[in-house]
Amino acid sequence: MASQYDRAITVFSPDGHLFQVEYAQEAVKKGSTVVGIRGTDIVVLGVEKKSVAKLQDERTVRKICALDDHVCMAFAGLTADARVVISRACVECQSHKLTVEDPVTVEYITRFIATLKQKYTQSNGRRPFGISALIVGFDDDGIPRLYQTDPSGTYHAWKANAIGRSAKTVQEFLEKNYTEDAIANDSEAIKLAIRALLEVVQSGGKNIELAIIRRNQPLKMFSAKEIELQVNETGKEKEEAEKKKSKKTA
Amino acid sequence: MAATFFGEVVRAPCRAGTEDEEEEEEEGRRETPEDGEVRQQLARKREVRLLRRQTKTTLEVSLLEKYPCSKFIIAIGNNAVAFLSSFIMNSGVWEEVGCAKLWNEWCRTVDTTHLSPTEAFCVFYHLKSNPLVVLCQCSCYVAEDQQYQWLEKPHNPGNHTQSNSCQVFWLQMVFGSCPRKNVQVTILTCRHVTDYKTSESTSSLHTPFLKALKTQNFREPPCCSLLEQPNIVHDLPAAVLSYCQVWKISAILYLCYTDVMKLDLITVEAFKPVLSSRSLKSLVKNIPQSTEILKKLMTTNEIQSNIYT
Repeated sequence: MASQYDRAITVFSPDGHLFQVEYAQEAVKKGSTVVGIRGTDIVVLGVEKKSVAKLQDERTVRKICALDDHVCMAFAGLTADARVVISRACVECQSHKLTVEDPVTVEYITRFIATLKQKYTQSNGRRPFGISALIVGFDDDGIPRLYQTDPSGTYHAWKANAIGRSAKTVQEFLEKNYTEDAIANDSEAIKLAIRALLEVVQSGGKNIELAIIRRNQPLKMFSAKEIELQVNETGKEKEEAEKKKSKKTA
Repeated sequence: MAATFFGEVVRAPCRAGTEDEEEEEEEGRRETPEDGEVRQQLARKREVRLLRRQTKTTLEVSLLEKYPCSKFIIAIGNNAVAFLSSFIMNSGVWEEVGCAKLWNEWCRTVDTTHLSPTEAFCVFYHLKSNPLVVLCQCSCYVAEDQQYQWLEKPHNPGNHTQSNSCQVFWLQMVFGSCPRKNVQVTILTCRHVTDYKTSESTSSLHTPFLKALKTQNFREPPCCSLLEQPNIVHDLPAAVLSYCQVWKISAILYLCYTDVMKLDLITVEAFKPVLSSRSLKSLVKNIPQSTEILKKLMTTNEIQSNIYT
């Protein structure tokens, strides 16, 4: 039945599916994993870095992008679609600032991106954007925010979420481990993001990229050394926890 | 004729059918000599040949007649092949006994002489210390017309004029016309999770996951749950399993549903429960070393397309 109703974006199937939108969600799963954590005073974005070809410049392969000084976004899915969405979002951030003389709120820019995506699910001759995005930042009121958008144009606020390949595994990990203690301070929130990513990233710290925004501070991208340090610390804590557990059972 | 929104030109249906139209259609269906020639050339090109790779000579009999075995393990698809390469083939010395050379529209590899393990398209090995264990790694797509023997007549490389109501070659090449009943066949393959039919939403499924389908003669308990209806198996794994069912051979297919069809560590590791099966248990030696081998295999294949990030 799907084959009769999946060729045009504007056609519903008899049981209410928009197959092109669902297929776009499959395209998101082809992108590498992204995890977002909303802490008390920090927001963290962690991504699984894509392996680049030998002759390719690594700097041109980025999953985390700043939309404005206080908002940043990470995506999973079609690279070219992400570039277009990010470009439109950056322009909107500046346009808003010039018009209203206030920076965008995280919710505003998320809604803008979601509305853009929704338009492409309802237009003739266009296909949906094949990306999901995690948008993080701080508003003027100092409250940290984390939103997720998907190809259908829906958006929701989250405490922690993951998108892309193996997102389900990471989401289950977060559901078990996201507690008030886990986000008690900034370094705990960062470690939680790393531990969540290490559930699915097999090759360790060298394939992880991390970015944080603290209240009233701009986006900070972690260097490879800083990430390696964090991964090693997380590894040591995990070993100690396992030793304690085995002592208790013995 | 009518044009759709996307620029396709389609024939508009017409209920006022006329005799002239039917005659035109008949003429279109009649084959010209040139068409026949092209069809024969294509049939010759699509022939499957079983070769000894080192000598490039054709095997005169089917593979399992030449190399009788009690265990036959087939990996179809790159994830299954990577699983066997990492977890089974490091357990001993495996000698290559043949390779299947075939061409179809999906098969990109043409040169069979310089193949790396991950791009080898259909290679057969047996364990030197126990030649009754034969393994097949099939990374290429074996088309429908290449899977089954044409049951009525024996295989004749010169005979290409027959129509293809049944398909030819691969199974005849491997199993022969009268396969042994005491061989146990294990097939490993992958399929995209969107092919899995279930009342749950696919986003709620814990991919990758393993399902099994076995022949009536397979008596052991499978290493995972059985594939539920109305799901079906496709392509070469289905051909092998059907063949085994018809010939009353004990066979089991382990099908991994994944959302990543390219070579992927998590998908390959999803096959691990199969290591506890009777066929494979004795062949597994060093799992940590296997994991290392698998990681190395992944790194060599890790460079991804730039389309998805």
